[in-house]
Amino acid sequence: MDDEKIVGMAINKDYAKFVYKITNPEDAPSKPEALEGTLVLDLSYGNYAGLFASSILAELGAEVIKIEPPEGDIARKMTPYGIMINDAGLAYLTEGRNKFHITLNIETEEGRELLRKLVKKADVLIETFKPGYMDSLGVGYRQLKEINPRLIYCAIYTYGHFGEDAEKYGNQPDYDVVDQARGLIMSVTGEPELDPDIPKEYKRPMKHGNWHGWYMAGGWAAFGVLIALFYRTKTGRGQFIDCSPPEGLFAVSNYLIQYYHMSGNKMVRAGNFDYAVFPYTYCKCKDGYAFMSGFTDWNWAALCEIMNRPDLQEQFPTTKDRLTPENQPIIQKEIEKFTTKYTAAELLKIITEYSKRPDKKGTVVTGRLNPPKDTLEVEHFKVKKMFIKVNDPYYGELLIPNSLFRFMSATPGRVKWACRPIGADNEYIYGKYLGIGGKELEELKEKNAI
Amino acid sequence: MEMDELQYTEFIKKLMNPENLFDEPEPLKGVRILDVTSVVLAPSAIDYLGEFGAEIIKFEPRRGDQMRYVTPYAYFWKNLSPGLQEQHHNRYWVGMHLGHPKAKELFYKFVKKSDVVVDNLTPGRMAEWGVSYDKLREINPRIIQLHVSGFGSWGPYTGRTSYDAIAQSESGFAYITGFEDRGPLKSGVWIADWTTGLMCAIAILAALNYRERTGEGQFIDISQVETMIRVLDWTWLYIFKTGKNRERAGNRDLAICPSDLFECLDGWIAIAAFKEEEFYGLCKAMDRMDLYEKFADPLERLKDENARYILNEIAKWAKNMHVGKIEELGNKYGFAASRVLEVDDIYYSKHFRERGAIQEYYDPLYGYLVDPVYPPRMETPSRIKWGARPLGFDNEYVFTKILGLSLDEVKELEEEGVIYKWNPEVPSQCPPPDWDGKRGLKFP
Repeated sequence: MDDEKIVGMAINKDYAKFVYKITNPEDAPSKPEALEGTLVLDLSYGNYAGLFASSILAELGAEVIKIEPPEGDIARKMTPYGIMINDAGLAYLTEGRNKFHITLNIETEEGRELLRKLVKKADVLIETFKPGYMDSLGVGYRQLKEINPRLIYCAIYTYGHFGEDAEKYGNQPDYDVVDQARGLIMSVTGEPELDPDIPKEYKRPMKHGNWHGWYMAGGWAAFGVLIALFYRTKTGRGQFIDCSPPEGLFAVSNYLIQYYHMSGNKMVRAGNFDYAVFPYTYCKCKDGYAFMSGFTDWNWAALCEIMNRPDLQEQFPTTKDRLTPENQPIIQKEIEKFTTKYTAAELLKIITEYSKRPDKKGTVVTGRLNPPKDTLEVEHFKVKKMFIKVNDPYYGELLIPNSLFRFMSATPGRVKWACRPIGADNEYIYGKYLGIGGKELEELKEKNAI
Repeated sequence: MEMDELQYTEFIKKLMNPENLFDEPEPLKGVRILDVTSVVLAPSAIDYLGEFGAEIIKFEPRRGDQMRYVTPYAYFWKNLSPGLQEQHHNRYWVGMHLGHPKAKELFYKFVKKSDVVVDNLTPGRMAEWGVSYDKLREINPRIIQLHVSGFGSWGPYTGRTSYDAIAQSESGFAYITGFEDRGPLKSGVWIADWTTGLMCAIAILAALNYRERTGEGQFIDISQVETMIRVLDWTWLYIFKTGKNRERAGNRDLAICPSDLFECLDGWIAIAAFKEEEFYGLCKAMDRMDLYEKFADPLERLKDENARYILNEIAKWAKNMHVGKIEELGNKYGFAASRVLEVDDIYYSKHFRERGAIQEYYDPLYGYLVDPVYPPRMETPSRIKWGARPLGFDNEYVFTKILGLSLDEVKELEEEGVIYKWNPEVPSQCPPPDWDGKRGLKFP
């Protein structure tokens, strides 16, 4: 690759080249994997928190066996407008990476016997059922830890597996929208409550556009599993992990809980304003929207200088002046008078040039608000191989995001394949781990166990 | 009662023992992290590990972490910025700038005795100071060094400044958030920071696990914008397969139907019921079995026209209902239904306190504090020991306990300007106004 692409806008070119050398994605396939030798059973059902958790572990080298009921995981059908490619939708094809797909019916005794045998050999089990469901079938943590005391059992569920609400609402299934609703962040996301120009019908809580409740929970689950694995290498002990997606959101809800404790006050929905840091907002520009910042006194001075608006600096001299809900819409409109004259790329150029001036007053940051379609075209992500095209023998041409962990110098994360059809790996996995094949496998199929 | 006779949730509660957090082991005990970070993203990554027992030493520049000054409506409590407190627990606080040549030598000594180094400076800044991975691995081949920035350490955009909102906007995340007929919205919190922090913590743990097996350390480079790209579920494959952009859809889920937010007589309710039996339950609760008969098949419900119709029918029903009633029906009939929780709902929730998800603790410097505690709940649980600290608050403790300097030597370093403490002119760097000069100090 030519040096210019590698060093980009780096302040230290040798550093950029050094990191490129030790994290070059071309070298990834020949390097070791962090979780090699770890066996994960993913029993999640209709749940992308479970699927993302096992994707992370699979990208890092764990052998993940995705266990589905004979008719397949309903998560395969969670796909925009019902678009399917053979037996899988677009979301499932994104999170099927590196996993072996087998079928196993835990509602039959034969199926449960197979599960117990697999658990004996497994390091991690992930499930997303209602609390007590696995236990009632005799394959909950209470029973499985007797078979394998080194087992790390990770349960993901909206209300958790203990506590008042787990008992009160334990018959509800886990969904992203409910996880987001209970995760506090949704209550403060949405059009600004205090802006008189916003029509009333738009003043309501807004979820994040993606399955952020599920994805964040999947991250927390993988995080917990990795902690438990580390602890197990020291002590030999497995454990139970209880991952509640709403807790995964409100634990990262900025200062909302602390501020309430200290002041007794709640924050309100601020839209693209921010009552702790402003300007820090999306502004209209010639080709859509661009982010603009300039919060601290010195950065605000820089922004006003770039816009050639010393009057604004005089009008709103302190951070406190810039943090009130009354002033923010006014400041926003003034900044937009400037930004609407330029495209996002032009703004980036103007601001980058300013940042190189020796007499600059502070730092201003900008960036385009990309429609996702345009994100795919950004040169930087192409150079970094953020997206990969897979030609799958069963699903055809696919485009999926690469592993975030591919820039680990010793054990880069990687994607080996995109997905597998329902039960595609039955023969391989049941043969490899349990020595079951041929006639025996046929019999299990007839008993509806697989 | 024997454990195997207990009702399931009781069994799990007994196993997790949340009432006696401090009786349970800390899974990351013995892992020492050097924190050369500021603002939200990288401090959060370290904080996640710290609540599970890692020891953290934070090195702060003289101006102080920017979050000492970022706080809602410029509000401070006993000189403490809630914006600093949110991602800073259980740390030791040192005032020292690695750009100082003598500080660099001291930092090398810490590196020798540590496991992880994290920074979120402009990529290459650590190299300018002589503390990047090529140098640190010579000092300690077991060291795990993580750098996180907006666009990573190499590539056309490396070196570009990034904030949370840049990652939300450049990735496409903000574009797909908001009403169908309105503009894009950013999250109400710095979600790209916290989410990327979690990915950093995961990478560090993977590297620690690998090191347990092999003794080898490594360098890790994480990008904030990439993280937000990665978590956008079906977006990329949808664009690739259809050639269309992914547009905003408000609270409606385009891949799960029904799944949306509805208005009730007394507030908002989120409802979801995708599996056939769940949709059956919802239709039964609504007394609308005609809907079930027509749309039992989940894929059929996802067609745009059908989805709009079904959601509209649910909206009409919910409008005359109370939130609490629908939550009850959800549990009775097996579909998902919940109100939108606000901060006081969570603060006062018995459920979250009982689980150890919200912890009240006595901080010797500030008195009683209440914070969320990072998930997941484990048999080796996360916990908070103390909150954020004034600049340089633990200088003496850290340099005597870990580097073995005498108090006189520490004083010398301070006189030379290598290390420093809070500036009395800047309240949010300082102890509370009523501080007695002793409270909260670990040494002397």
